[in-house]
Amino acid sequence: MDRRRHSFGVIRLLFLLVVVAWLAPPASTSPRAQNTASDLAGNPVDPLRSAGGKIVVLVFVRTDCPVSNRYAPTIQKLSLEHAGKALFWLVYPGKSESAEAIRKHQREYGYKIPALRDPRHVLVKEGQVEITPEVAVFDTGRRLVYHGRIDNLYEDIGRARSAATTHELEDAIAAALSGKSLTVDAAHGVGCYISDLE
Amino acid sequence: MTRASQTLSGFFLLLAVASAGLAARHSRATRAPAPKAAPAEPQITFDRDIAPIVFRNCAPCHHPGEAGPFPLLTYTDVKTHGKQIAFVTRKRIMPPWLPEPGELKFRDELRLEDAEIALIESWVDQGEIEGNAAELPPRPAFTAGWQLGKPDVILRAEKPYLLPASGSDSYWNFVFRTPVHRSRWLKAIEIRPGDKRLVHHANVLVDREESGRRLEKEPGAGFGGMELIIESEAFDPDSHFLFWKPGSPPYVEPDGMALRLDKNTDLVLNTHLQPSGKPELIQPALGLYFTDKPATMHPILLQLDKDRMLDIPPGAKNFLVSDDFTLPVDSSVLAIYPHAHYLGKDLLALATLPDGTKKTLIHIGSWDLNWQAVYRYAEPVDLPAGTTISMRFTYDNSADNARNPNQPPKRVAAGNRAVDEMAHLWLQVLPRESSDAGVDPRVAIQEALALHHIQNDADDFEAHYNLAALLQMRGDLPGALLQFTEAVRIRPDDSTANNALGGVLFASGQLDGAVAHLNAALKGRPDYFDAHYNLGNALASEGDFQGALLHFRAAVRLNPQDANAEANLGSALAETGNLKEARLHFERALEIDPKNELARENLEQLNRESQSQPK
Repeated sequence: MDRRRHSFGVIRLLFLLVVVAWLAPPASTSPRAQNTASDLAGNPVDPLRSAGGKIVVLVFVRTDCPVSNRYAPTIQKLSLEHAGKALFWLVYPGKSESAEAIRKHQREYGYKIPALRDPRHVLVKEGQVEITPEVAVFDTGRRLVYHGRIDNLYEDIGRARSAATTHELEDAIAAALSGKSLTVDAAHGVGCYISDLE
Repeated sequence: MTRASQTLSGFFLLLAVASAGLAARHSRATRAPAPKAAPAEPQITFDRDIAPIVFRNCAPCHHPGEAGPFPLLTYTDVKTHGKQIAFVTRKRIMPPWLPEPGELKFRDELRLEDAEIALIESWVDQGEIEGNAAELPPRPAFTAGWQLGKPDVILRAEKPYLLPASGSDSYWNFVFRTPVHRSRWLKAIEIRPGDKRLVHHANVLVDREESGRRLEKEPGAGFGGMELIIESEAFDPDSHFLFWKPGSPPYVEPDGMALRLDKNTDLVLNTHLQPSGKPELIQPALGLYFTDKPATMHPILLQLDKDRMLDIPPGAKNFLVSDDFTLPVDSSVLAIYPHAHYLGKDLLALATLPDGTKKTLIHIGSWDLNWQAVYRYAEPVDLPAGTTISMRFTYDNSADNARNPNQPPKRVAAGNRAVDEMAHLWLQVLPRESSDAGVDPRVAIQEALALHHIQNDADDFEAHYNLAALLQMRGDLPGALLQFTEAVRIRPDDSTANNALGGVLFASGQLDGAVAHLNAALKGRPDYFDAHYNLGNALASEGDFQGALLHFRAAVRLNPQDANAEANLGSALAETGNLKEARLHFERALEIDPKNELARENLEQLNRESQSQPK
């Protein structure tokens, strides 16, 4: 898999786009609103903008991905442990996953984390993720410090350890909170591809 | 196969698309249509090329209510997961099918051809084109509910099992009480394991001795545990594999191979469950399908193992466990079930015929406990007497094995828990009629097998016990006595073995020894009907009728429907002078079984005596 096909140029371009969105008045009727993620009521939301000095963790999931579903208790637990300092968002990139299906999914799996729909893959690109469940961690300066798997519970699809032995997301949160420029090595997630053809 | 030409062209396509695929990937970033670099290359479409593959191989599990996490029934379904499908088929994660292709074919093989995998990959690279609806085959129709139709009897687990939201895999056993009042023949048991997304596999064990019930904390609650020991035999005395895995249609036994279901038989469903991320209730059901045709063919289950060799040092990457067994009679192999836990790596079973030819019975190059299965051969595999069946299993106890339950790795030995290992190879074998008239070929195989296991391990309790039972069946009391004595040496507190040894000692006239072992049997299981009955007999033979009375009373209490126990209780009562009560029990015995000779004779004698002795 060629994960490095996003060149730095692309990343910088994305940041520029975000800055532009920042400067523009936040009006949901604006055509630009099409280029954002939205909450389940359909309102545009930029999770990086409303972080209020906290680091931001975007967790990409699907309602029907068994691997991301199995992570639900872990995701919920980590979000509680870091509640004071890290803002967690669940991001559903599936184009066909309705707000109603997502609400049901949240109830069933006991999620208390706010959910976003990202059918245009704005956050997918910003977080440089390809798989559910992968995470993207942004420091307080909105810099992407980590993107990839949560931990190494899965070595491959259907090939799970009895417990994870590395914990990349926790390490990345710690690094982001320490304010160091340290970035955690990206490790591939195992799970379901975020399809751009859906 | 009518698909040959189509799949062949697909294969050549793969070669052509290897470089075009890269181009397509670049172009996709800009959302331009795929460049037509090779105009001669036919376009792959869902309707014509992909739907037939998906409908046949994926949809059986990927439709609502089945094990697949999402449906794969329409173009939209498949397009949504296209990249995923290309990935998991290329890595042969899906469809799940462990055996390598070989000379012998299995029923319901779920293996894609290389050309089909290449076709899917090319279709995704070309941009997942839908095609011409006129070429779309009809969507497969699936039966909801019981696949074999309405069962004659439906058994539901009394209490559901609550699977926690997270953690490692669970192994749970459900005990089903069967409602038959006489022996019946079963042609099929359809297993509905509860939520099919959570159950990785399940198998039914026939439990004629209430072994499962004794492990339940309360009746119907079920019990935990990965491997079960069910008394009589680890599988079933009628030697059927009763197995469920996702995507396998339920199996109907052929005529003449029905399974006997007796009164008071429990069915124990052993399930392997994987957490889903939310708490789940699992409540399986079994559908029983009866037949009037009794069994005329009697397969047996052969087990090769070398548990004693399983002592795997930490870090070992290719630890070999082997066992070889030579068939004493001509046989047909009907099915095979290799079994290891999380360290299992490469599982191979070979047959070496007397003329030296070798057949690979099964080879699993990348073992995965999650997808373990019973594999039934498409055609029975005929093996002549003198064929050696060889098990060659390797194990990876290094940290590189992601599934290794011990991180860092530890020394691992044989055992029933998930952190222990196993090296078992089961074969369902149908022995062909022996030329040796009068000798049941099954007995010959079982005896050879028991001796083989004792040779492997002199402390193999089951082997000594089984050999003893076979010898006893053949009337070889001294041989049986020796082997039961060995079994009790290995497990001095085992009630079943003590009861059997007591029984043989009694039959050989060694009453004191018999009484001691029967008492030992009751110490471990105070409610053991057989031991009470046997001890009653032994004490009565010693002239201790008061003692015998106690045990016959217990036997009658434990099994009020046993005519012999009633008749014996009557006899003991008569011997102690209680003729009035004795008569009641003789009459009760005849009520249960009008043909009970002991009760009839004793009752006649009572009648004669009461006539000749005026009150």
